[in-house]
Amino acid sequence: MRIKGFAIAMLVPVVSILIALAAAPPFAPRPASATPGFARQTGISCQACHTVFPELTPFGRKFKLNAYVFTNVKQIQATDEQSQRTLSLSDLPPVSVQLQGSNTTLGRGIPDAGVEGDLSQRNSTQFPQALSLFYTGKISDNLGAFLQLTWNPSTNAVGIDNSDLRFANHFSFDSIGVPDFIYGISLNNNPTSQDVWNSIPAWGYPFIFSNVGVPPVTKALLDGQLAQESVGLSAYLWLFEHLYVEAGAYRSAQTSFTNTTTGGPGPLDSTSPLQRISGPAAPYWRVAWEQDWDNHALSFGTYGLSARVHPPGIGESGPTNTFTDVALDAQYQYITDAHIFTAATTWIHEFRKFNNVGLADRAHDWLDTARLTGTYFFKRKIGGSAQFFSTTGSRDFTLYCSPSTFETAPSPACPGAGTGTPSQLLGSANGKPTTQGATFEIDYLPWLNTKIGLQYTAYAKFNGRSHNYDGFGRNASENNLLYVYIWTAF
Amino acid sequence: MKATVMYAVVGGLVLMSALAEAQQKSAPPDLVTRVCSTCHGPRGVSISPMFPNLAAQQPVYLETQLKAFRDRSRADPHAQAFMWGMAAQLTDPTITEIAAYYAAQPPAPGKPAGREEIAAGKKIHEEGIPAQQVPPCQSCHGDKAAGNGPFPRLAGQQRPYLERQLAAFISNARANEIMHANAKDLTALQISQIAAFLSAQ
Repeated sequence: MRIKGFAIAMLVPVVSILIALAAAPPFAPRPASATPGFARQTGISCQACHTVFPELTPFGRKFKLNAYVFTNVKQIQATDEQSQRTLSLSDLPPVSVQLQGSNTTLGRGIPDAGVEGDLSQRNSTQFPQALSLFYTGKISDNLGAFLQLTWNPSTNAVGIDNSDLRFANHFSFDSIGVPDFIYGISLNNNPTSQDVWNSIPAWGYPFIFSNVGVPPVTKALLDGQLAQESVGLSAYLWLFEHLYVEAGAYRSAQTSFTNTTTGGPGPLDSTSPLQRISGPAAPYWRVAWEQDWDNHALSFGTYGLSARVHPPGIGESGPTNTFTDVALDAQYQYITDAHIFTAATTWIHEFRKFNNVGLADRAHDWLDTARLTGTYFFKRKIGGSAQFFSTTGSRDFTLYCSPSTFETAPSPACPGAGTGTPSQLLGSANGKPTTQGATFEIDYLPWLNTKIGLQYTAYAKFNGRSHNYDGFGRNASENNLLYVYIWTAF
Repeated sequence: MKATVMYAVVGGLVLMSALAEAQQKSAPPDLVTRVCSTCHGPRGVSISPMFPNLAAQQPVYLETQLKAFRDRSRADPHAQAFMWGMAAQLTDPTITEIAAYYAAQPPAPGKPAGREEIAAGKKIHEEGIPAQQVPPCQSCHGDKAAGNGPFPRLAGQQRPYLERQLAAFISNARANEIMHANAKDLTALQISQIAAFLSAQ
């Protein structure tokens, strides 16, 4: 009985980290924007909208801005007495399926109290890593949707993935010199997922990654923290074929201890890493300029979000922190039949204001996230990518030293103002969030809708240091990942 | 106060309807605005050299091509990937309307190219290459390469597009007996020279 109790006690931290890993936003399977549902609806091949999926071409951006409504499928229609169309529904639904399978090898296994030494598993095969069902396309004349249901192996549940319901229309004021422009509204569940460039988080590189690696101790709010956990309504304009302006607001989706859709921990669960937006809504903004010439497309812009958030595990009446993300991004594409080159970059500066004592060392912290990615493909068949990433921020023991209770060995106390002990594997012994490194990838696409990839992520620094970052002797390079995947959509 | 609001509302509505009317008069067909213009430009000057300019193109030629995309008889790789889908549900009146709209737009300006290649291309355009049984382009496409009925306008066309079409005629990816016979003996250099000259017009 005592032995059994001991085994259970040992299992708890292991299980809790697995749950934390599964629930943490960086580990949620990243959805794809490439859907054969669109091809079914339009009759147009993938390469019209994608360089190589899921990255969009200028035409793909336009298709999304127009609310996914362009169609070549026979329509079921209705009109009223004034000849206004009251229904325009595709004869066949634009549905599709996405399947991802993968194998991950960690630099060194995740420590496991139940296993002696380093014998714990460092290899993880997942098939499927994620399985999704899409409805992507026209709903009515000016209304379209990108809806995704994903089965997640870690919870064995089907949940809502990225969703975007979108209205768009055209107008022009030729008489005052304003040519045809697009105006639209998007209702979505992930800030930046409504965007049409691949330089900003939701659709940025890496498009697919392992969900069993070790997550860095922190990330910016706009960098996926609110994905599928918030609801946003935003209005946009596409002017002069160059200028994109968008303004919107996000609210938190759910207020419970359990996410009723996924069955995973909800925003109020103390094990949940999710943060809940407080108050009426958090404003989101986006401005971008695109310049296309010959085979080139260049864009640059800014985006951001300011939110009062309840920290994880704190209820609606509890204290709030204020996080403001101000970000810049740029993307360059060179697109021909033979050669495709893309460079994308973004930088997110997060101002973190802690309004209550005890949640952080100081009232004001900051976090900088930067990424630079280059991608080349030959004939949309063989290609590769390289990304350099960096997260830096102010030192805060309370925030970063013991973010979780996962420990398998006794440890020294966190220094500074922090309380408790450093977290093995997940914490930062020096209280810094610095995580820097690079991801290299080579891809082969036997068909336009199937990608086989080999991805290697190398960390120069992880949670503040190269060596012994968690205070338990784990080095940054031991979190390096070799990730092999197959990704197909049909 | 109430009256002011009412005047403002009425004034606003009048202004908007006037603007909407003004918009309708000069507006291109709806499909052009929403779909075609994405690649071929709102006035038929394409956004990328991958896609052909349509401005000032012969309306008969445009109609023939759109119908050939619709019935899939034009089957070069880009036709399959892009235009088969685009044209699948077009009706004959819509095809006529789109063709008339683009035909009525001012032609794209010529693009600069090397003086020597333009001269060599001009020679082929005007005299053909008798030794290779290549007839002069101008005999069908006109001395200014502005086209004529079923023969398309080539002047000011995107150079990579012209090169790709000649290659497609040669490989029969784009089935056209006359153009296959005319182009089959052209060298890569000659194709490049012809395209340089025509796109510079």
